[in-house]
Order: sequence, then C-alpha cells, then structure tokens
Amino acid sequence: MELTRRDLLKGAAALGAAATVPLTAGGPAVAQTTQKKELVTAQAGDISKFDPHFSTSSNDIRVSFNLFDNLTSRHPDGKLHPGLATEWKLENQTTWRFKLRQGVKFHNGDAFTSADAKFSIERTYDPAAKTMVATALATIEKVEAPDPFTLVITTKKPDPLLPARLAFYGGQVVPKKYLESVGNDTFNAKPVGTGPVRFGSWVKDDKAVLEANPDYWGGKIEVDRWIMRPIPETAPRIAALLKGEVDVITQLPPDQGERVAGNATTRVAGALYAGLYVLGVNSKRPPLDNPLVKQALSLAIDREAIVKELWRGRGIVPSQPIAKGDNHFDASLPGLAYNPAEAKERLKKAGYKNEEIFIETTVAYVAQDKAMSEAIAAMWKDVGVNVKVEVIEYSVRAQKNREKSFKGVFWSDPTSTLGDPDGMMWRLLGPGGPQDYWRDAKFDELGNAARFSVDEKFRAGAYKEMTKIFLENLPWLPVIQPYEDYGLQKYVDFTPNPNQQFEVRRFNLKLRRA
Amino acid sequence: MASSIPASAPADAVLAPAARAPARRRRRFPALVVAGVGFVGLLLLVAAAAPLLAPQDPIRQSLRGRLAAPTWQGADGRAHLLGTDHLGRDVLSRVIYGSRVSLVIGFSAVLVGGILGSAAGLAAGFSSGRVDAAIMTVADAQLAFPFILLAIGIIAVLGPSFPTLVVVIGLSGWVSYARILRSQVLVLRSREFVESIHALGGSLARVVLRHVLPNVLSSIVVIATLELARAIVLEATLSFLGLGIQPPTPSWGGMVQEGREYLDSAWWISTFPGIVLMITSIVVSRTGDWLRDVLDPTLRGE
Amino acid sequence: MRGFVPFLGHRLFRALIALWLVSTVVFVVMRLSGDPVPLLLPPDAPHSEIMRVRRDLGLDKPLPVQYVIFLSNLARGDFGRSIHFREPAFDVVRGYLAATLELGLTAFFLAALIAVPIGLFSAMRRNTLVDHAAMGLALIGQSAPTFFLGILFILLLSLKADLFPTSGRGDWRNLVLPALTLGAFTMASIARLTRSAVLEVLGADYIRTARAKGVSEMWVVAKHTLKNAAIPIVTITGLQFGTLLGGAVVTETVFSWPGIGRLAVQSIYNRDYAVVQCTVFLAALMFVVINFFVDLIYGVLDPRIRAG
Repeated sequence: MELTRRDLLKGAAALGAAATVPLTAGGPAVAQTTQKKELVTAQAGDISKFDPHFSTSSNDIRVSFNLFDNLTSRHPDGKLHPGLATEWKLENQTTWRFKLRQGVKFHNGDAFTSADAKFSIERTYDPAAKTMVATALATIEKVEAPDPFTLVITTKKPDPLLPARLAFYGGQVVPKKYLESVGNDTFNAKPVGTGPVRFGSWVKDDKAVLEANPDYWGGKIEVDRWIMRPIPETAPRIAALLKGEVDVITQLPPDQGERVAGNATTRVAGALYAGLYVLGVNSKRPPLDNPLVKQALSLAIDREAIVKELWRGRGIVPSQPIAKGDNHFDASLPGLAYNPAEAKERLKKAGYKNEEIFIETTVAYVAQDKAMSEAIAAMWKDVGVNVKVEVIEYSVRAQKNREKSFKGVFWSDPTSTLGDPDGMMWRLLGPGGPQDYWRDAKFDELGNAARFSVDEKFRAGAYKEMTKIFLENLPWLPVIQPYEDYGLQKYVDFTPNPNQQFEVRRFNLKLRRA
Repeated sequence: MASSIPASAPADAVLAPAARAPARRRRRFPALVVAGVGFVGLLLLVAAAAPLLAPQDPIRQSLRGRLAAPTWQGADGRAHLLGTDHLGRDVLSRVIYGSRVSLVIGFSAVLVGGILGSAAGLAAGFSSGRVDAAIMTVADAQLAFPFILLAIGIIAVLGPSFPTLVVVIGLSGWVSYARILRSQVLVLRSREFVESIHALGGSLARVVLRHVLPNVLSSIVVIATLELARAIVLEATLSFLGLGIQPPTPSWGGMVQEGREYLDSAWWISTFPGIVLMITSIVVSRTGDWLRDVLDPTLRGE
Repeated sequence: MRGFVPFLGHRLFRALIALWLVSTVVFVVMRLSGDPVPLLLPPDAPHSEIMRVRRDLGLDKPLPVQYVIFLSNLARGDFGRSIHFREPAFDVVRGYLAATLELGLTAFFLAALIAVPIGLFSAMRRNTLVDHAAMGLALIGQSAPTFFLGILFILLLSLKADLFPTSGRGDWRNLVLPALTLGAFTMASIARLTRSAVLEVLGADYIRTARAKGVSEMWVVAKHTLKNAAIPIVTITGLQFGTLLGGAVVTETVFSWPGIGRLAVQSIYNRDYAVVQCTVFLAALMFVVINFFVDLIYGVLDPRIRAG
C-alpha cells in the first residue's frame, strides 16, 4: 500500500524528489495534474491566534510554522535541519554557538539578525509577555548576540537537546523591531515573520489567506496563495475534498479514509504521530492509587481491536511510554498485553471493591476520544469494573487539567516535542509537570540525570529503567499510537510531518503540473 | 406578540366556552384526536416494554460489526433491521430505548413547567400589582432571552444530568401556564365578573367549580400537550449539542449527533432516530392543536 | 389614542427591566460557569501567572464589584474585551452579525416567497391532493426539530443529490439549505396562515358581490386576504426576527454558519464572558425592539388595542 512506499521514500521526499506515484487502495494509478496557483486546505478548527508564542493548538501550528521560521527545523523525515541557523556547535557542556543565516528579510522588509533571535527566545519566558510557551525553552540561562549573525546560548545545566527544543513551538523567530513598535495585539492581527508565506487576510470562521513570500530564503513555494478554511464537521470536510473544493484536508478519521483512498481523484497520506494517545490517570484517587488496579485496567483493554476496528488499522499498539520513532525507543518490548482473565485476577489481588472508576472524556479533542471511551468502558465492564463515562467540555477539561482535579482517567495526546523521551515522558510526568499525579524517587532521579547528560549510553539505560518503573505503575494507560491522516488531491505531493506541522515549503509541497 | 392579555376581555373567554362546553362534551372527540392520544399511549407502551421489544441490548458493542447496513444477518449472526452504529450497537434497539429518555424527560419537564407556571400564574393573579408586575416582567425577560443559550450555559455549569435537564427544559415552558392561570384568576377577581354572577343568580363557588375549573383544566391540557412536543424536541436538541443524556444511554438526539460523521456512508445511524423523533413531534403537537380546537379556541392567539 | 402612549411607555419600561434582567442572568451564569484563565495559559503555568492574568482581566475582584463594573460599562455601551480573540467584544460580535442577518433575512424572504403562493394555491384547490400534500409539508415544517431538518437537507440535497454545498458560508448556494432550515417554521406558518385567510375571504359575501359585479376576483381576494392576514403576518414576522438568535443557534451549528448563534455557543464553551454577554444582550435588545414595533403596528392596525 501507498504508506509502505512512503516509508521507503522518506529520504527522497526530503530532497524534493517528486518521483513517487502513489497507489490507491481501489482505483487505478491516475496521475492527476493541475494548473492551480492556489492551495486550499481545510482543517477541523479555526485559527485562534497568529502569534506563534500564544498558541500550541494544532490548528494554529499549521499556520504559524509557515509564517515564521525557527533556528532549527524538524522535517517530516524526523531529522533536524538548518533553519534560520545554518550551523550549531556545542562549545562546552553548557554553551551552544549558532551561526545564523544571512540575507534573510522579514515580511515587512526588516533584516533578520541575531537581535531578533535573542528577542524571540527571551520573549517566550519573559514573565511580562505571558506567553503560552513559557516552559519550552526554560533550560536556557542566557542568550547573547555577539554579532549580527552569531548567537550564543548558555543553558543552566548541560542540555543536549537544545537544538531540538528550538525547532518546536516556542522557537519561532519574531521580529523585534516590528513587535516592539506595534505591540502584541497588532502583531497578532497582522503578523510578520520570515516564513515562506506572509499574512494576507483573515475572516474568522471563514478563511485565512496567506500569500507566498517571493523572497523566501528556501525558495518561493509552489503556489502563489494558500487558503486555510475551518470545516469543523467531518462529513462536510470530506465532501469538500471529494468534490474538489479543497486540495488538502487534515484530521481525516480512519473510518473515512477508505472512501478518500478509493476515490479516483484523491488519496490518503499519514504520518505516525510523534506521540501517544493515552488515558492519563489521576493516581491520587483511590482505587487508582493502587498499581495492581491500573495494571488490571491496562490488561482489560483490547488494543488490537481498537486499532483494527475503530482505527481501521491506522495506528500501532504502544509498548512503552516512548513513541516509536523517538530516541531510545525500545523495539524489543512487546505491545501492551490484552488479558481479561489476568485483569480479573489482579483486581481481586488488589482488593477492588467495586469502586466507581470515571472516564472523563471530551468530544473530538483527541481524535475518537468519545468512541474509544465507550469501547474501553465496555471492555472494563466485562472484567467487572464499575466504570462510568462522563463527557466534559474542553474548557472544563482545561480547568481540571490545571487544578489536577480529574475524577479518574482522562484523554491526553502527549506530543514528543523533541523526538526524545525527555520531551514527552519526562516533560509531562516529571515532578511539577502538568500530569504530576504520581511520584517515584528512582524515576525522578533517573529523569533528571538523563535530561542533563550528554552521554547517550547513560541516557538509554536510564530511560529503559524508567520505562520499567512506568509499566509497573502506569501513570498513563497508553492506548494507541495513531497515524494522523490527511486527505489530498492526487496532484498534491506532500509528506505529513509527525509533529503536526503542516510543511508547505518547497522541499515538501508540490503540485503536479502537466 | 403582546405579552399581556388585557384583563377585561376574558370574561367572555371564561364564561362563553364554559357555557358552550356542555354542548361540546356531548359531541364525540374527532377521530384524529383519539388517534393522536393513542399514538402517545403507544409510545408509552413501547418505552415501558422496551426490554421485551428491543431485539438486543442497546449498549452491547461489537467492534467487529461496526457501521453495518440494515441487514437480516449481521457479522454477529443477528438481525440488525436498522443497522449498527459506529460501535456496533443495534440501532433499532437504541431507537426503542431512546423513547424512554424522550418520554421520561418530556413528561417530567412538562410537570415541572406546569407546576411552576401554574403557581406563578396563580400568584400573579391573586397578588397585588407589584408582585404581578414582577412575575410578568420575568416572563417578558425569559421570552426576550434566546433560551437555548441559557440552557447551554446552565448545563455547561452544572453538567448534564437528569434532574438538571428536567429543570432546565421545564423552566423553558412555564410562561404559557402562568399567563392562562393569571388571566383566569384576574377575570374571577374582576368586579364585572362577580357582578354578572350575582346578576345571573349564581354562587361564585358553583361557577368556579362548574365552569371555570373545567375550562382552566382543558386549557392546561392543551398547553401541556403542546409543551410535551416542545420538551421532547428541546431534549433532543440538547442531546444533539452534546448536552443531554450521556453515553451510553441512547437518546434520539444523541444518536443523530453520533451519526453526523457518517451521514453519507452509514446514514441509518442519524436518519432512523431522527425520523422517529420527527413523527413523535408532529403527532403530539398536532394532537395539541386539535385538542385546542375542540376544547378552547381562545387559546389560538398564544 | 389616549390610552396608547401610556401603554407604550409602560411597555418600554417593562422592556428595559427585561433587558436588565437578561443581562444579569447572563452575568451570573457565565461567572458561575468557571474560570477562563486555564484556557489561556499552558497547563504548567505557575500559580503566580494565573493570578497575574486574573488581575489583568479584572477577574480577581469580588463578584458584586465585577457586577457593578459590568453594569456601568454596559450603560456606556462597553461590552468588555473578548478573552479569546483579544479584541473588544462588540467588534467580534459585529464581525459575525452580518452573517446571521444575511441568513435571517434570506430565510424570511424565502419563506414568504415560497409559502404565500403555496397557501394561495392550496386554498384555491381546497381539499385536493395538492392541498393535503402542502398542508402535510407545512405540518412537518412547523413541528419538526430544526436540527434534524437541517441534517435531512444536508443528507438528501447536498450529499446525495449534490445540489448544494454541505456547510459554511460562500456564495448564494451556501445560503439555500441553512435558510430553508431556519425558515421552515415561518414558511409553514405563513403557508397555513395564507391558506386560511384566503379561504375565509373566498367564502365571504364580498366575493359574491364582486363576482356579480364582474370585478376581478383575484384582486378582491388579494385585498381582503391582506387585510385579514395583516395582524398574523406582523406577528409571525416579529416572531421570526425577534427570536432570530435563538433559532439561528441550532441552524448555524448544523451548517457551521459563521454567525452570532455559533459564536455565542463557542464563547460559552470558551468561557469568553464578554462575547456571550454581548451577544445575549443584543439578541434580547433585538427582541425587545421588534416587539415594541409590533405592538406599535398592532395599535395602528387594531383600534381595540389602542383603547387600552
């Protein structure tokens, strides 16, 4: 199937080779072409902010990573590539030196210099700026700009992952002069960056129009204009693709994938999500404070069925709290087991007295969250768990998340922001982290040491050990590592990025011309 | 829509139909009204007998048999006459059980609204100008308010639970009862009325019992019927918006919402519960219309 | 006209009180619904951040104080700032208002355009199949739940028949299905109303007189129908526009129409107080104003009411 060929051709794609002719599940290989100079995409939610430091929602990321550049850039092939920094070197344990790209201009004509990079980084953790990404670059001690095209970053402790941190949200570079002169609100309304597209117009709930930046250092993109429309409901979004009204749609549910793949003019492209869909556990609430109970709950989930039936095979069963594709992913570990008999045993051993266990689910915050909740609830009921599903609003979830007041388990889609367990397992489950419901001294000691070590062998050992501790205590119940699918017209050559960036730069997006 | 009924008009409204009523009572209720009421009865029967009528457990999932079209032989060897939904649950069984939610919430809400509204109407009618004006102003405010937003807001605060839904939906309809009762009471208390009674040589108590009460009751029956249709639709709308009865309990509105994603592939998930809902709404409100025509045409202006 | 002016004055006073009540209820419900701040900051933001943002938004003051500030701002026409959009709430609402008005007006005129001829035709072909069919459809239009009507239209006319787009706002084609859905109730009401008005006229004496005199029947029918139907038409129009927002909420949600109904719902979920308060206030204002005019027109049309 097309996906396997994509895997093989990842390297080629990164070099911009347009050689791939995708096969579809049903129809003949039709090489569609177009003369369009405009790209129209539809996603499941509207943009809320253009300021890259004020939102981490996937609906905003898709645009902000194209309006702005980062110093380093993570391409769909999973590797870090130069962005606004052309090279970087670790000078000593805590100092990184970046050489910056010359001749780059912001959309308003201002030249990009190290002052902008310094300003951008410092803005993220500046308390007065109140950004949403204040902890993304928190390992940085100070930033210096000795000359217009050099940046020296000193970290508080050795931080081997700094370049990776700069590639993700929080690392977008914003123009110092422009921002300081117009202020945050105007900047959000009329954003200016160095990216391959510049801001054209935005009508809320209708469409955002982005114009190609003709002077982009990476080459002008394939089209003259990119239109991003929100179509929240699934059926109309897919209909828009099938009817040819849009060129690309995001958040394609697996149930609809076959229709898109079987249609003569469209195809499906997916990337294995750089992260996991898990049920976060409030391990402070009995009976979820008992590891045996959590193990039982995990054993009662038939993940194979969920992946095969609910997700139509578009995902894999996770085996550990590290996403496949990340550093230190242990391929030798088997997928999390399904054993209802053993689950019942553990419940008995745990002394489970039929206490209520809540699944607080949102609707469409994590893909298929409600459906998976109901399916898992039925599975848990089958082993004798007194389970209750409660649907909560996204805003209620945000509040509970902040107050750490979930009643039981809740959906989360931890993203591996750095391609490394430090950016997912440790970031979220470490002490003081957002999902800090459970603590283990050894786990903490190892996590801390691994974050600040530059010895990859040591880190591998540490994460292996932490995984063992994790699997015993299950602060998360990993459910699936899904493919995040896109629907495309066949004339669109595009490789999805596992971290949800929608990469429109020349090397990744092309329209097939006759 | 003028929000206050001039107090002087209803003397005729109260007396006249009451005077006509004995003649009406001798006439048979038109067949359609009987059919309408019969339909509601049938629905109640279905709801009560759901465990016997439903071919399967409405919350039994079958991930392998998801999204199956209506068939005599499904993946699990059973018949799914209306197909299965996205979790493999039998649509027919869920539609049958869904009637419980609609009827229980519908009737409860009507009860709540009716009691609240009648109490308010009586209070408004019997008390002095201030209280009366206050109650009627609240009624005005409620009409001015886009109620669905209030419902969404309240349920977002309190969370969707059975009592919350009943109270919210009940609250949406108290005004009609209040108005009717208030105007009846005002007429009763009006001097013209009392004088005409004395002139006709009757006792107030007797008039109230023989004419006013039956009239009020028939008005309330009409309003309650129309309100029942409205309450059922409002519950379904709230369920559709995700604010109604929670999973896995089946409700018609919730099923329409669940099937939205599959509208062009597994259309049966949304369509069948929606059609049943539509038919119920139509029949019940039509019955209310007919009852009104038969019992109390003066309500027509409402 | 003597009783009329005080009557209007009285109504005006009641309307103002109603508006005040509405605003207060919204204020209370929204403040009780929870804290919007967690939505604005990352989950690992320190407590001091939360307090700072709360202070900036004025949310740290005690509720009664917030209420007084809210009312005094309201009186000056200041609806506050949208937390979600970082703009004045009124500007946000204004951006979405046009879409709802477009939908509402189209719904109404489409309804009238379709319903009047149907009602007329039904009356003239009374008790035939056409009449029964038309009145059957009217029945459905009046009693069917709006959300399902919308879903049915999408299924049949957009997905299956491919005649119209499934959602969103664009050219005239995008307007049709939402307008039909929003206007279904009005359309049905107008059809039935027209039919009964025409029937009444058809059976009346002046028709026979007109026939005898040889005057065009059509003209007489039209004139008298209009007179009969005037008050109910005003009522229905008032109802459609007065409750536009309430009806639009569901339709806009089903069709993803970017109007204030959908905005209000999203803002409730986002705990964006200012926008919710602004939309509800404007909706109530619209209702009150329209009702006021309806009462005015009643007064002109029906002398009985003028007498108080």
